Amino acid sequence: MPAPPPRFHFLRRADVLAGLLFIAVAVIGLWASRDYPIGTTTRMGTGYVPRLLCWILLALGALIVVQGLRAGGFIELGRPIWRAMVFVPLSLLVFAFLIGPFGVVAATVALVLVGALAGRESRPLEVVAAAVLLVVLTLTIFVWGVGLPIPVWPEW
Amino acid sequence: MDFLANLALGFGVALTPANLGFALVGCLVGTLVGVLPGIGPVATVAMLLPLTFHLEPVSGLIMLAGIFYGAQYGGSTTAVLVNMPGETSSVVTCIDGHQMARNGRAGAALTVAALGSFFAGTVATFMIALFAPPLAKVGQSFGAPEYFSLMVVGLIAAVVLAHGSIIKAVAMVLLGLLLGLVGTDGQTGGQRFTFGITILSDGIGFVPLAIGVFGLGEVIANLVHPQQRRDLVSSKISNLWLTKEEFKQAWPASVRGTLVGSILGVLPGGGATLSAFAGYVVEKKLARDPSRFGKGAIEGVAGPESANNAGAQASFIPMLTLGIPGNAVMALMIGALTIHGIQPGPQVMTERPALFWGMVASMWIGNLMLVIINLPMIGLWVQLLKVPYRQLYLAILLFSAIGVYTVNNNSFEVILTALFGVLGYVFIRLECEPAPLLLGFILGPLMEENLRRAMRISGGDPMIFLNRPISLGLLIAAALLLLVVALPFIRGKRDEVFQG
Repeated sequence: MPAPPPRFHFLRRADVLAGLLFIAVAVIGLWASRDYPIGTTTRMGTGYVPRLLCWILLALGALIVVQGLRAGGFIELGRPIWRAMVFVPLSLLVFAFLIGPFGVVAATVALVLVGALAGRESRPLEVVAAAVLLVVLTLTIFVWGVGLPIPVWPEW
Repeated sequence: MDFLANLALGFGVALTPANLGFALVGCLVGTLVGVLPGIGPVATVAMLLPLTFHLEPVSGLIMLAGIFYGAQYGGSTTAVLVNMPGETSSVVTCIDGHQMARNGRAGAALTVAALGSFFAGTVATFMIALFAPPLAKVGQSFGAPEYFSLMVVGLIAAVVLAHGSIIKAVAMVLLGLLLGLVGTDGQTGGQRFTFGITILSDGIGFVPLAIGVFGLGEVIANLVHPQQRRDLVSSKISNLWLTKEEFKQAWPASVRGTLVGSILGVLPGGGATLSAFAGYVVEKKLARDPSRFGKGAIEGVAGPESANNAGAQASFIPMLTLGIPGNAVMALMIGALTIHGIQPGPQVMTERPALFWGMVASMWIGNLMLVIINLPMIGLWVQLLKVPYRQLYLAILLFSAIGVYTVNNNSFEVILTALFGVLGYVFIRLECEPAPLLLGFILGPLMEENLRRAMRISGGDPMIFLNRPISLGLLIAAALLLLVVALPFIRGKRDEVFQG
């Protein structure tokens, strides 16, 4: 494992990051719920339980950070992480935007092409073959087999 | 006798040709996905859930249960042949199962896993039929305070049984509870955490959450850290029969495993994985010659395989009778029931007896089918293992996308799934177990509702939870659970068990 940079190296501890994540969620939650009516304990308003949970989460997050600073494993951030972390969700986004106007066939092909970029060892011919096979499978299983009401072809 | 009449009703429902067909399809699809390493049972069930939405509730649930058991069976096949658990519940099967395969006894290992699972499934089905009605009676006497305390026990148990840090698991539960509250407040009609997005006022769907966090997160993790080359033992599956000696060693282990699984499965937070680990530990402790373990001891396959199936099935008991999910898969089942318009809880058994008993009967039928499907078709499943991951994950991505989209024909949920996928990977990297999150998510709205009701009954006095004997007992149980795990001795043991 390469030596972590001297300044922010505590940010590379899994527990510290996890704690910060929980703190961030709690703070956003408290901010978003600032105007929710809290009500009374007998008649709880919209904000009672959410705000209570956020405060507890905030406390736990702080506790996890403190624990993590004392001990806890380092994690490595490298190039391939971003590759999969970007292209896997992106492939679903592409699918989401294409399926409505262009149908499931086009969306499937696009998902496979974008998704293939997430792996380091994808081979062009295999990707094309996978796209064809998956289109056929989708049509036979989901459209003709189960009869799911999804758009198949583009709406012209 | 009620017991027989109930089972007769159940088999009447489960044995119709259509429902038999759905059970078969469920078992086949479940095995198919279970064999493939890299997608766990939660992601499998979540991905295939939408296939069942267009069916009658009974048929849909029968198929779902089939998918779940199929995944368990398929997982053990991969464990034996490839030394890679198809599902977490078959992690321990790898240890001795794969050694048996290398010793040329792959066929025997697969047979003992299948028959052990079938035996366990049969016993567990009877357990459900016997214990579900009295438990539901108890459940019907519960008021809001008791329900709230029961859910606290469930969440605490999930925390205690999660891997790694307990504080992190509690934080994950809270995160899940918060995610569950997103949307319109059922009591006041107020909007919560919708950030002005109209679609969010219906709340976050459990399918996008489960597929994203459990399915896509895992895919990203597998792409980032490619697995080592698979060590496939496929040429040697010639003889499926056990020798007399093997049979003599295996059957008592199978009985013990069934017992362990049936008990651990019912407990909140229990289920297949815990049962399998416990089953293995029991066998190793009881063995006259523990050094055989790890070198292909057949008890090391028979015990945990029976235990995980019994555990998987017994975990249906609290879900069906009380509406409380004991583990992540059961949380999905609760979600599926709700989508079918059934409010989970003790009233399901009395109001929809055909649904309840039909499902119980189909569990046994599904187990029988799996023995028949699995053993002769083993060659086919082995072929599946030869598909490289670089192609497999594309199929997983696609089926996830289609699965989520078809729940409501809604693109927004697919986008949500993508976001949860990233979050799921972050959780893996930060060593935060996602199962407590899903339980919190499903229980969040229910807990809030019961808390509010309890507070209204008591006029805002939280002592109501301690003044009622059942509620007090449940809370004491929860506190004891937490206390026990905090003890250093148990902590060490717990870590040891999870080391596998």
